[in-house]
Amino acid sequence: MDHKDRQETCFTNFSTQNQQKWEFPDPLTELLQASKAQDWDPAAMLNNLSFLEQKIHQLQGLVHLIIGRRDRVSGQVQPYELVAQQQQLVTADLTSIIVQLISTAGSLLPYVKHTQGAPSLSLGQFQPQNGGVSGGGGGGSGASELQNSVDVSTNEEHDLKDEEDGEELGENLFPGTYEILQLEKEEILAPHTHFCTICGKGFKRDANLRMHMRGHGDEYKTPAALAKPNKESSSEPALIKRYSCPFAGCKRNKDHRNFRPLKTILCVKNHYRRTHCDKSYTCSRCNTKKFSVMADLKTHEKHCGKDKWLCSCGTTFSRKDKLFGHIALFQGHTPAIPLDDTKGSTGTCDPGNDSEATNKLGSMNMFNFSSSEDVKGSMEDPSGCFSPLNFETCNFGGFHEFPRPPFDDSESSLAFLLSGSCGYTNKSGEQ
Amino acid sequence: MPPFQSNTNILSLTEDLLVRIYEILVSESDRKSFRLACREFLRIDSLTRKHLRILRIEFLPVLLHKYPRLQSLDLSACPRIEDGVVSLLLSQVGPASNSLRFGNWTRGLKSLVLSRATGLRFSGLEMLARACPCLESVDVSYCCGFGDREAAALSFAVGLRELNMDKCLGLTDVGLAKIAVGCLKLEKLSLKWCMEITDLGVDLLCKKCVDLKYLDVSYLKVTNESLHSIASLLKLEVLGLMACPLIDDVGLQFIERGCPLLKAIDVSRCQGLSSSGLMFVVRGHGNLLELNAGYCLSELSTALLHQIKNLKHLEVVRIDGARIPESSFQVISANCKSLVEIGVSKCVGVTNMGLMRLVSGCINLRVLNLTCCHSITDAAVSAIANSCRNLVCLKLESCNMITEKGLCQLGSFCLLLEEIDLTDCCGVNDKGLEYLSRCSELSCLKLGLCTNVSDKGLSYISSNCKKIHELDLYRCTGIGDDGLDALSSGCKELKKLNLSYCNEVSDRGLGYIGRLEELCDLEMRALNKITGVGLESVAAGCKRLADLDLKHCEKVDDLGFWALAYYSRNLRQINLSYCAISDMALCLVMGNLTRLQEAKLVHLCNVTVEGFELALRACCVRIKKVKLLATLRFMLSAEILETLHARGCIIRWD
Repeated sequence: MDHKDRQETCFTNFSTQNQQKWEFPDPLTELLQASKAQDWDPAAMLNNLSFLEQKIHQLQGLVHLIIGRRDRVSGQVQPYELVAQQQQLVTADLTSIIVQLISTAGSLLPYVKHTQGAPSLSLGQFQPQNGGVSGGGGGGSGASELQNSVDVSTNEEHDLKDEEDGEELGENLFPGTYEILQLEKEEILAPHTHFCTICGKGFKRDANLRMHMRGHGDEYKTPAALAKPNKESSSEPALIKRYSCPFAGCKRNKDHRNFRPLKTILCVKNHYRRTHCDKSYTCSRCNTKKFSVMADLKTHEKHCGKDKWLCSCGTTFSRKDKLFGHIALFQGHTPAIPLDDTKGSTGTCDPGNDSEATNKLGSMNMFNFSSSEDVKGSMEDPSGCFSPLNFETCNFGGFHEFPRPPFDDSESSLAFLLSGSCGYTNKSGEQ
Repeated sequence: MPPFQSNTNILSLTEDLLVRIYEILVSESDRKSFRLACREFLRIDSLTRKHLRILRIEFLPVLLHKYPRLQSLDLSACPRIEDGVVSLLLSQVGPASNSLRFGNWTRGLKSLVLSRATGLRFSGLEMLARACPCLESVDVSYCCGFGDREAAALSFAVGLRELNMDKCLGLTDVGLAKIAVGCLKLEKLSLKWCMEITDLGVDLLCKKCVDLKYLDVSYLKVTNESLHSIASLLKLEVLGLMACPLIDDVGLQFIERGCPLLKAIDVSRCQGLSSSGLMFVVRGHGNLLELNAGYCLSELSTALLHQIKNLKHLEVVRIDGARIPESSFQVISANCKSLVEIGVSKCVGVTNMGLMRLVSGCINLRVLNLTCCHSITDAAVSAIANSCRNLVCLKLESCNMITEKGLCQLGSFCLLLEEIDLTDCCGVNDKGLEYLSRCSELSCLKLGLCTNVSDKGLSYISSNCKKIHELDLYRCTGIGDDGLDALSSGCKELKKLNLSYCNEVSDRGLGYIGRLEELCDLEMRALNKITGVGLESVAAGCKRLADLDLKHCEKVDDLGFWALAYYSRNLRQINLSYCAISDMALCLVMGNLTRLQEAKLVHLCNVTVEGFELALRACCVRIKKVKLLATLRFMLSAEILETLHARGCIIRWD
């Protein structure tokens, strides 16, 4: 049966996502196992049983729904896509309920769970979901919620760079079919959105807050308390939520003519920071690239310095052949020579000063400057200070092998160099 | 014009006529006599002189001032070419006004030879490149410190047409790209031993410098990709691919279809090639003039031979190290009538019969390399002499069966012969040399290991071959002082002499050597009879001596070295290994010889560490290469080692 297949795939997807969402899945499961094994609580068991009952009812409703749908499908003509979509939603819902049933049923047998590895694992993974769907009534709304929560979790975890744009490809919502929310600027930029009601500590993620709460007492350790709370009661009509950027005139602002909504709160946050805020995070390696979102900086830092192939036009390449292809294409472009090369020959460059290494103009200037330094350096004749016997002078009758230049000369040659270096201004010291 | 001259005096000639007379004088010594004649001639010399090869940097500022029309400047022979020196040269000459900032000498300069100027770095090169607007040719070969920054500096010379960067070990694709983009007019480029260059650099070069006529990428680790790029060069005439281990027949297929003007190709020592690869090249280029395929073929195949047959204009072919079927010579002889040079050294299958057939057709042969063709005898040499009357160069090293009969034929017919290599031909004796001495044009004679040669034979050569420039008497144990007496009175133009292991030579013989004023290269290893007296007479007499090898001359005492330090001011290279030189003498030699660039100083048993330290300090500003015992590495002060390194000096630890 292909139903089963789909179930399995959904199952695996779900489990991986859940695992990712929890930052410390292993301690949690251990904790749960420990509490379950030690004190066998009849109240909790009752709770679980009633939960099972509820779930079975839900399952029944769903199956009824499927039957009803099938009838309707056969009766009236509906677009095939819509049918498929609905069926998918229903199946997803079904899957989640069955999974929860299994896990909860498993929790009723603490000693079994103790000896068997696999069920305990699945319990730990799906426990948080228990409370979430427990109040769920309508199949459709539950499904959309589920989808939403899945989306959020993936976004949170991966911090996809293109999530603002990528979302549009898959989605084609008509105006009015979704609810538009607009957060205030302060809310968007607030570092924490979840606060502990006891100690006031702030968290970026609700899950982390819930983990934190465990420290405040046993009452926060129950599966219900640790479960992911459902933000809206599922009895409400299913309206998809979309977000608007508070910045007036922005394409993502709901008043814009071609308004394109943002999918999640995280999208809003990233969009707002990237588009309407200062780029305050500077890469510590290159000191050039700036970002407003920390995740972007971290992504850049993974590659920063690997783009060592630099063209005179300022473009960097991670691969030499790409740089050479670029140079072959554009007239007058040449590869820029990394500054470290001169360390051996001149010794005037400060290897620790990375800002100059990447600043193209700075390095050009540096180039000229160090060259004039070098000129001065080599003027000093070591034979003068070394040669203890000083054969040259005695044998040539006072003729020094090469006259030491007056200081003025080297100064003037330096002046020429600076004037002749195409008017590059000294930028190396800045930033 | 001087007003006081009468009409009959040569000085009444106008300036332009005097210039014409001056231009007829080709040899440097004639010109020297000319300019020493009188002030007016000196003036003509300084006005017309276009080329200057300088030995001592300290005279350069004055000389540059003296010769305003200089087009070519060769600094390869003088030490201490450094950035500071360059900036000084550029700032000292010329008036202070901005337009003439660099003085006159740079404005007309077209060619600059900076070979082995290891002390020159990018700032100096950039100054030079910017100061010489007409610069067309630059040679920076063997500048080991030459890297990408230096290449970038050189790329400011936008008019550059010729560039030699052999053995610029620091050069990478980036530097080459700088040159390729900066010097778009480049026509001749040599990149031998620039080991960091890869296909990417060559590809970019071929895309940017489309006017390239000459390209040498020998010894590079380039692959067929590079050949693919090179094939797109429409004007390429000469391609050097010597010892490129990564190219194979597929790469040469690209060449077959590209480079329509290709005239010469060198694929010698390319291990990846076979006959079929060469067939591609030959098939695609019927007008090929030069094919060098030495040591890359195991056998000259019939198929390849039939392709070569179609090269009607082929002038030079070298297939050293291959096995050659005897019939091949007949084919070459019948078809390649314009052949001027053929190299079959170390080939298996070169026989008398084959050579006879070859020379019967190729009568224009001028250069013939038969090194290590052991089976040939006087019969072959006679045939060569009879047919090839224009023969200029004949190499017969290790052809043991050659006797005076063969040399008799050469002496009778090949009167244009300039160079002959008879090394290790034990059949050569005094009689043979007597016959050979009839070749009065002879300028290079190699007789190494010819133990049957004595003073008598040498005297024949000396009295008849006045143009001898180079003479190799390595291990000619029959040669003694009398032979050198004859040599020094006859061959006044001798420049290069090898006397190593001629044990009979004593101080008296060296006294005769001292009469050779042109001598600049003298090798006399292990002459165990000579003492300081002999060395003194050589040093005092041979003023031009630039290269001296005294290894294992253990009886030479400090007296000789003191004389050397005093007289041999032009000495550029010296080998003092195993000599009994003292601390003091070593310091004197190293400190006093201001042109010295390379010294080999191993196993000097009388020299202490302090002696080495002082000697190196005395010469550290100019020495470029020094060979020392490895144990000294940790005994010398770090200060001196750093100074040497900073000055671009290479230390070889033995």
